[in-house]
Amino acid sequence: MALNVDFKLKAPANTPVWVDEALCKSCELCVEFCPTGVLEMVPDPHNILGQMVKVAHPEWCIGCKECEIECPDFCIFVAERDEYNFKKLNEVKKLKGEA
Amino acid sequence: MAFNYDYYLRTDKMPTLWCWGCGDGIIMKAMIRAFAKLGWDKNDICIVSGIGCSGRFSSYIDANTVHTTHGRTVAYATGIKLANPDKHVIVVAGDGDGLAIGGNHTIHGCRRNIDLNFVLINNFIYGLTNSQVSPTTPKGAWSVTTQYGNIDPTFDPADLAIGAGATFVARESVAEAQKLERIFIKGFQHKGFSFFDIHSNCHVNFGRKNKLAKAKQLMDWIEDRLIPKAKWDKLTPEEQYELKKQGKFPRGILYQKEEPEYCEEYYKLIERVRGK
Repeated sequence: MALNVDFKLKAPANTPVWVDEALCKSCELCVEFCPTGVLEMVPDPHNILGQMVKVAHPEWCIGCKECEIECPDFCIFVAERDEYNFKKLNEVKKLKGEA
Repeated sequence: MAFNYDYYLRTDKMPTLWCWGCGDGIIMKAMIRAFAKLGWDKNDICIVSGIGCSGRFSSYIDANTVHTTHGRTVAYATGIKLANPDKHVIVVAGDGDGLAIGGNHTIHGCRRNIDLNFVLINNFIYGLTNSQVSPTTPKGAWSVTTQYGNIDPTFDPADLAIGAGATFVARESVAEAQKLERIFIKGFQHKGFSFFDIHSNCHVNFGRKNKLAKAKQLMDWIEDRLIPKAKWDKLTPEEQYELKKQGKFPRGILYQKEEPEYCEEYYKLIERVRGK
């Protein structure tokens, strides 16, 4: 069990956010709470609500962990600062062409 | 490495039985983070829950747990705490469980100021039994038993707890999980009855018929109803009364006071009588 937990919680290489799709109920809370629009919902016929969360723009993640703490189902994880080099909010705005 | 919740969880029972986007999961996570920050061992924690969706807390948290009868959570927890005064007892109850059916147990727990942590998950409806009206249902809201709009005045659980004698009273919403964790840490450390009024979302049984069908939509509605404590204190009592009539409430730590704790008084009494 311990091995399994480590596998689940350790950030995969070069990944800011990852989702445990077996536990996800696709409630969209992470998508709605994300301030920079990293996540989005995609259609998924295998899920009960017909959709599944997808990490669409990992390069926009600022590492605020809002999605992780607001997820009611223990299924979304954010890397620590030493595991991934997160961007600052103004850099993300430049990337998106907003500023 | 992301935060490991699994130490305090019964992972074989996952995924949870709650609906998608249910605030109960957010509250449970905030509670587990508070346990971890306080460094509490799971063998020193007792979770007492009643009937309702909140009753599932005792199934998912891997501590000493009791799943009790409807509304009698505080009665069971009082016994557990008196027998084990060194353990941490957390009572989890919904608004129907803790205020309607178990209302009298709640006020007498508050009155005794026993060292319990009462987490009231206030989702404005009897969610598990499909949308009957509860004491905190807002005025005008649809429920199965108030099909043309609720006419009962809104109820303020925090005022009840302060009036009954609880010594730590706080209110927060699930949309601010960081603040939730912070008030849990402060309240769990407090010696005496800690009362948390957590406004949660039931977008399936409350929201759907009240035009708030999405989790985030209902959370925004909850956030609109809460006013920060600092801003609330600047208002005159008349304005506060008017706002409460409209269903707006202050948020944050509303009341904190040091009073003699019931278990200590009880064990002092035993020593005094035995010493005779």
